Amino acid sequence: MNAVAFPRNDARTLADDGNELRFCSTCAFSQACLDEGMDKASLGDLHVLVEHIGPFRAGEHVFREGDPFEAIAAVRAGTVKTYVIDRDGHEHVQGFHLPGEVIGLNAIDGDRYPCNAVALDTVMLCRFSFPKISVLATRVPGLQRQLFRLLSRDIGRAALLAGDWSADQRLAAFLIGISRRLAARGFSATRFQLTMPRTDIANYLRLAPETVSRVLRRFQEDRLLQVDRRELELLDHEALETLAAPVLRG
Amino acid sequence: MEPQTLAFNADLLRRYDRPGPRYTSYPTAPQFHAGFGEKELREVAAASNGDPIPRRLSLYVHVPFCESPCFYCGCNRIITRDKARGDAYLARLYREIALSAQLFDRDREVIQLHFGGGTPNFLTPAQLGEVVETLRSQFRFSDAADRDISIELDPRFVDADDIAALGRIGFNRASFGVQDFDPAVQEAVNRIQSVEQTRAVIDACRGNGFRSVNVDLIYGLPSQTTEGFARTLDTVAQMRPDRVAVYGYAHMPHLFKPQKQLDASLLPSGETKLALLQLAIEQLTAAGYLYIGMDHFALPDDELALAQARGGLHRNFMGYTTHADSDLVGLGVSAISHIGDSFSQNPRDLPSWQAALDEGRLPVFRGMRLNEDDQLRADLIQQLMCQGEIPVAALERRYAIDFATYFALALERLAPLAEDGLVRIERERIVVTSRGRLLLRNIAMCFDHYLDQPAAIATPRFSRAI
Repeated sequence: MNAVAFPRNDARTLADDGNELRFCSTCAFSQACLDEGMDKASLGDLHVLVEHIGPFRAGEHVFREGDPFEAIAAVRAGTVKTYVIDRDGHEHVQGFHLPGEVIGLNAIDGDRYPCNAVALDTVMLCRFSFPKISVLATRVPGLQRQLFRLLSRDIGRAALLAGDWSADQRLAAFLIGISRRLAARGFSATRFQLTMPRTDIANYLRLAPETVSRVLRRFQEDRLLQVDRRELELLDHEALETLAAPVLRG
Repeated sequence: MEPQTLAFNADLLRRYDRPGPRYTSYPTAPQFHAGFGEKELREVAAASNGDPIPRRLSLYVHVPFCESPCFYCGCNRIITRDKARGDAYLARLYREIALSAQLFDRDREVIQLHFGGGTPNFLTPAQLGEVVETLRSQFRFSDAADRDISIELDPRFVDADDIAALGRIGFNRASFGVQDFDPAVQEAVNRIQSVEQTRAVIDACRGNGFRSVNVDLIYGLPSQTTEGFARTLDTVAQMRPDRVAVYGYAHMPHLFKPQKQLDASLLPSGETKLALLQLAIEQLTAAGYLYIGMDHFALPDDELALAQARGGLHRNFMGYTTHADSDLVGLGVSAISHIGDSFSQNPRDLPSWQAALDEGRLPVFRGMRLNEDDQLRADLIQQLMCQGEIPVAALERRYAIDFATYFALALERLAPLAEDGLVRIERERIVVTSRGRLLLRNIAMCFDHYLDQPAAIATPRFSRAI
């Protein structure tokens, strides 16, 4: 079966609220249950902590820097951008969070959110009270492991683009990264929409917007990929992987 | 599309001769609504700048003035000989250009600029040059070899010197209205122009670096006869324009007031109209022109024909074009824009357009955002109009649909057309046959979601298919 192109996911994803035995298909914690064969009681305990919120419309904030930290949230549908504003008023994009990924993790060592989180398209979230989930995690080993896994993934991603990479390498790594993350959630690895505007991509990759377009146009001429408005198709996955390899290593 | 032969079947054409849109856009203009205004236009323009590779821009400038009224006209135009009105219009136009240019990121190149009307050559070459310069100073024009600057010209009000001046400004395509050289027809429609005049300006284009010349003809005009039209076709074919458009006259005086001046008793019968169309097809194809689709013919080495052969033909408000993937920015009274997944239109009357600009507002008065269904159907109809086929498998993949289920109603409507041999339904695609090529809009209508609405049937706002 062909995987659907992100975010053209069918209505089932949103209708899928899970039940006592099973979590939503896009849940960040579903892996924990699958890996550990969580018993009904633990699942029930975890479910009580979960609150479905949204939809957030494009441009709507999920939280702002300085808001009191109460909960972490997993993206069920859509894309969330996290960013900070520096002293000169310049925006710095910290990351893009796709379905199944968690936002707010970088707040857990303080009592306030250290960044802003804004919906880039129509976003649905699952919210978990962090103190409560921590307590539960002490009783459920699978859950603790999953929490650590999410944490380390978040840190790893931030380090990705700090190196001295060329524009081609940065962009290839960005696209391959998104492709892998979407594929892990059952979306198509080769066809997806870039829900973030090119200024955000450029900001995140520390490139000029014109450079992002220029590199993508050249990738397109070289038949590495095909762009139609926001829609992207990776034609030569291998070539892009090779370009991205030094950035993604480790 | 199956090339060359056009099977002409009078009985078939008669049965399918009913009102329908020409699909220069889908959804069509009657679906535009007042809920789409300046705020929405700014939003869609900003979003279009956010594409990973923002589309290039096509600019359209509408010049509404005509010195003399042609009675068949359904365009938005103002009859005047007062040349001062041109300057007043341009002053407003420059404001609109300034407001519009700010909407788009500077690295978005202009690949096409077209002047339509009305009569663009109501403006002098100097005025037109000033418009081009103003646009160049605020948009970034592409240096690509296929960058076009084109203009619709009334041969009665332009001479070889003007053409040379336009060539120096950078114009490289021209389209001339001819309609019919038959004097009786010219008198009936209030448009007298000689063969010599027309030939002189077409020749002047060739001598001044114009890449392509188009001639517009109309069939179904008052006093038109097969003999007269045959002579016109012959004369036009000898002038060898790169493209010929043959439009069917749509007599809709309730929508287009100028048509009331036309003596309806002189309109040809349905039989004659069909014979005129048949003549045009036979004579033009015999003279070496290829049928591109809808009402358009082109010489085999013309870019339209070449683009169609490689699957790169597109259709927008300016008709067929080789410039895919551009956002269309309409400037001037009544002009239509197509930015991102939206359509929008400027006020159709001069005072409203002026008032908006005098208040420093973008003069959009209606429009719409296309939803996913609109986008899918627009894509389908575009393929139908330009390539003569519906790529079923490709659409299924692209839009994650099951074609047969999604278009069950449309396919039901298409069944009798398939029985009549207008389309051939294959597993991976639906192909327009040579019989169906003259009835593209009837085929497209099967897939038009908005024709399902009762209101669309009750009030005919579209011309007939033939």
